[in-house]
Amino acid sequence: MTAHDMAPDNSKRRHRHEGKQKHIIAFIFSIVLTLIAFVTVASVGEVNPTFTVILLLVMAVLQVVIQMSYWMHMKDKGHVLPIVFMIGGVIIAFTAIVMSVYWVWW
Amino acid sequence: MSAPAHHVDDQWPHEPEKATLEGRNKVIGFWLFLGGEAVLFGTLFATFLALRNQIGDGPSAAELFKLPMIATVTAILLVSSLTSVFAIQAMHRKEVKAMLNWLIVTVILGFCFLGMEIYEFVEYVHEGHTFTTSAFSSSFYTLVGFHGAHVAFGVAWISILIAQVRKKGLNLVTAPKVYVSAIYWHFIDVVWVFIFTVVYLMGKVG
Amino acid sequence: MAHTVKRHRGIMDWLTTVDHKKIGILYLLAGALFFGIGGIEAILIRIQLIKPMNDFVDAQTFNELITMHGTTMIFLGAMPIILALMNVIVPLQIGARDVAFPFLNALGFWTFFFGGILLNLSWLIGSVPDAGWTSYLPLASVDYSNSHGVDFYTIGLQISGLGTLIGGINFLATIINMRAPGMSFMRMPMFTWASFITSALILFAFPAVTVGLILLMFDRLFGGNFFYVPNGGNVVLWQHIFWIFGHPEVYILILPAFGIISDVVSTFSRKRLFGYSSMVFATVLIGFLGFMVWAHHMFAVGLGPVANALFSIATMLIAVPTGIKIFNWLFTMWGGSIQFTAANMYAISFIPTFVMGGVTGVMLASAPADFQFHDTYFVVAHFHYTIVGGLVLGLFAGLHYWWPKMFGRMLNEPLGKVTFWLFWIGFQLTFFIQHFLGLLGMQRRVFTYLPNQGFDKMNLVSTIGAIMMGVGVILFLVNVVITSTKPKNLGNDPWGDGRTLEWTIPSPVPEYNFKQTPLVRGYDAWWKEKMEGNTEMPAAEPVGSIHMPSPSILPFMMSVGLFVAGFGFMFAKDDFGNTALNFLFGNHLIAAFGLLITFGCMFLRSVKDDHGYHIEPEELEQKGVKA
Repeated sequence: MTAHDMAPDNSKRRHRHEGKQKHIIAFIFSIVLTLIAFVTVASVGEVNPTFTVILLLVMAVLQVVIQMSYWMHMKDKGHVLPIVFMIGGVIIAFTAIVMSVYWVWW
Repeated sequence: MSAPAHHVDDQWPHEPEKATLEGRNKVIGFWLFLGGEAVLFGTLFATFLALRNQIGDGPSAAELFKLPMIATVTAILLVSSLTSVFAIQAMHRKEVKAMLNWLIVTVILGFCFLGMEIYEFVEYVHEGHTFTTSAFSSSFYTLVGFHGAHVAFGVAWISILIAQVRKKGLNLVTAPKVYVSAIYWHFIDVVWVFIFTVVYLMGKVG
Repeated sequence: MAHTVKRHRGIMDWLTTVDHKKIGILYLLAGALFFGIGGIEAILIRIQLIKPMNDFVDAQTFNELITMHGTTMIFLGAMPIILALMNVIVPLQIGARDVAFPFLNALGFWTFFFGGILLNLSWLIGSVPDAGWTSYLPLASVDYSNSHGVDFYTIGLQISGLGTLIGGINFLATIINMRAPGMSFMRMPMFTWASFITSALILFAFPAVTVGLILLMFDRLFGGNFFYVPNGGNVVLWQHIFWIFGHPEVYILILPAFGIISDVVSTFSRKRLFGYSSMVFATVLIGFLGFMVWAHHMFAVGLGPVANALFSIATMLIAVPTGIKIFNWLFTMWGGSIQFTAANMYAISFIPTFVMGGVTGVMLASAPADFQFHDTYFVVAHFHYTIVGGLVLGLFAGLHYWWPKMFGRMLNEPLGKVTFWLFWIGFQLTFFIQHFLGLLGMQRRVFTYLPNQGFDKMNLVSTIGAIMMGVGVILFLVNVVITSTKPKNLGNDPWGDGRTLEWTIPSPVPEYNFKQTPLVRGYDAWWKEKMEGNTEMPAAEPVGSIHMPSPSILPFMMSVGLFVAGFGFMFAKDDFGNTALNFLFGNHLIAAFGLLITFGCMFLRSVKDDHGYHIEPEELEQKGVKA
C-alpha cells in the first residue's frame, strides 16, 4: 500500500444507507424556490424592482445551500476541508463581484 | 429520517469512493478544483454584472429572454441533478444496474439542456444579438457559453464512465470516478441557479 | 499484482517520468532556462539605460524587452523554481512516498513548460508582446497592438497558468492526504506550510487571470467587446481582473521564500523556529489579506477616496503579519549557534533586504504619496527589493540548502560565498539607487531619458550593479558544473543539523523516498529523535512491498496538443501566401487537431487503468547494499 492507509474498516459495520426521501424533499424545495423566483419576475411591474432583485438573490442562495448540503453531501462528516475551500473560492468570487458592482463604473 | 439498512456484500465499503487512498485523493482534489471553478465563474459573473447594461445598438435582456424557455431548461437541469444523486445512492448500495440507468437518464437530460441552449443561442443571433454586438452580448455568451461547455464536458465524461463501468464493472477504481463526476454535475447545476437568477431573471427585471 | 512495467531510459525517462523528484529537477531546468532568458532581457534593458539618449535598442524593442522581462521572470522564471523546491521537498518533509497525483504533477509541468515555450517563441517569430507585463487596455487591444505579440501573451500564459493551477491542486491534496502518521498540520515544517498556503493562493488566483486572459483573447481574436469602449466595454475591468489575480501572485512568489528562510535560519542557528504557531498564523493571514488589496495597484485610476482609503488601510495591515515573521526570524537567531554557510548567508541577508522592500511597500500603500511615486523607478526599486531581495535570495538559500538532497552533492561553499557577495552587492547597487531615481521623477517603462536631469550617474551605477548580478548568476552556474563532477558520497544529513524528515533518508533520495513510512512524534521530527539519542526515525510500518505509479507519455502529449491548438487559434486569420496553410489555419483545423490530441489523451487516461508496479522488500535490501 502506498502511504499510511487510515481508512476506517467499514466491512464489519452494518451499512446504513439513506433513502431517497430527503433528496426528493431537497428537490421539492429547489423547485419551490425556483418557482417563487420565476413567478415574482413574471409579475414584475406589480413588485418593486429592488425588492425583486433581493428576493431573487435570497432564493438563489437558499437553493444553492440546500443543494450543496444534500446533493453534494457537504453536510456529511468528513467535509470540513471541502467546505473551507469552497467558502474560500466563494469569498474571492464575491470580492470580484463587489469589484464589478462598485468600482468599474463610477 | 428513516434510513433503511441494506445489507450489501461485505466487500463493498460504506463509502466506496473514499475506501482507497487514491479515491480519497481524487475526491479532495476534485473539491479543490471546484473551489477554483467557483472563482472562475465568480470572475465571469463579475464581468457580466459590470457589462450587462452596455447593450449598444443591440436588443436588451428584457427584450430577448423568454421565461417559459428558461423555466424549462432550469427544470431539466434540476431533475438531472436529482437523478445523478440517485445514481450515487445506487452506487453506494452497489446496485450497478440502477446506477447505470440513473446515469443514462442524467446524460439524456444533459443533452436536452444542451440542445435547448443551442436553439436559444441561434434564436438570439437571428434577433441581432451576436457575440460581437455589444459588451452585454459578449459577456452574456461568454458566461452562459462557459457553463454550456461545462455541461458538454460533463455529458461526455459521464458517458465515458458509463461505458467504463459496463466494461470493467463497479469497483474501488471506478467508484471514485463516478462519485466525482456526480459532484461535478451538481456543481454545474449550482452555477446554473445563479445564471438563471442573475442573467435571466435579473435581466427581465432590468 | 507485481507485474513488470516498461522502464524507460535516457530522454524517454525524463519525458515520461511521474516521480516528483525528477519533475522537480525538470522544473528547475525549465526555471533556469527562463530565468536566463529573463536575465538577458534585464541586462539589455540596463545597457539601454546606461547613458542618456542611448540608441542601443529602439523604443519598440525596449517595450518588448520590459514586457517579456516581467512576464518571463514572474510566470516562467520564479514560479518553476518555487515549484521545483516544492516538488522535491514537500513530500519528503511530510514523510510521503509521492505526491497525491503523480500523473497530474507531470501534466502540470509539461503544460507550464509548453506555455512558456510558446510565449518565448514570439522572439523567433518576430512579433513580441509589447504592452507591459500587465497588458493594460486599450494599449493591448488590436487597435494599438496589431501584431501577434499580445496573442502570444494571452495564449502562452493561459497554457502555462493551467499547468501552475494543476500543480497547486496537487500540492494541496498531497499535504491534506499524504502526511505520515503523527505529522499533524501543526507539526509541519514551515516550508510545507508556506507551500500549502501558496498552493491555496494559486488555486484561487489563477482562475481569475485565466478568465481575464480569455476575455482579452476573445476581444483580440473573435471581436469581443469586453474592453472595447465604443461598444460598451470597460478598460478598468481588465485592471481589476488582472490585479485580483496579480496581487495574490506576488504573495504566491514570496510565501515559499518565507518558508525556506524559516527552515534555513532555524537549521543553521541550531534552534527551534521561534514562534512557530504565530508563523503559521501570519502565513495564513498574509494569504487572506493578499486577496483584499488589489486596488492599491490602481490608486491613480481614480476610484475615489473611499476605495483608495479602504485599500490603503488593508495594504498597511499586511505589514503586521509580515513584521511578526521578521521578528520571529530574528529571535530564532538570537542566542543560536549560527553557522554562516552560503545558504544561511542568503537567508540572513534576506531579512534586512526584504524589510526595505516592505517599508517602501507601506510608503506606496499611502494613496496620496502613491500619486507621486506612481510609475516611477521608486516602484521598480520597491518590487525588485521584494522579488529579488526577497524571493530570489530565498530561492538561492533554498537551492544551496537542499542541493545535496536533490543531487547527492554539496555545492562548493567558498565559491557559493563569493557568488553571494557578488550577487548581493550587485543587487543593492542596481536597485537601491533606483529609489532616488524614482523620487527625482524618472519614469519607468520609458526607453531613454534626456541628459542633465541628475539621472546619468545613478543609471550608470545601476547598470554596473546589474552586470555584477549577472556575473554572480554565472558563477552560480559554474558552481553547479564544478559540483556535478564531484562524487556522490553524502550521508543522510550532510549539514549535520537537519531538523526535518528529508534529512532522514539518503541523498539523493531513492525513488520510493522512505523505505518505511516514518512515525512523527513532534515538531522538528528528526531533531527530536536526535535529541533523544536515536539514529533513525521510528517506523510506522514494517518493511513491505511499495506501490509505484507507472511512467506515462500522456502528460507530455496533452501539453503538445495545447501548444499546437494555441498556434492554431493565434494564426487563424493570417494569410500565409500558401493555400494549404491558409486552409488549415483558417478553418481552425490546426486548432481542432491540437485539442483532439489533448482530449484524446485525456480519454486514454480515463479508460486505461494505471496499475503501477511494486518494489519488493528484497529489491529494497539490494539497493540498501549499493548505497
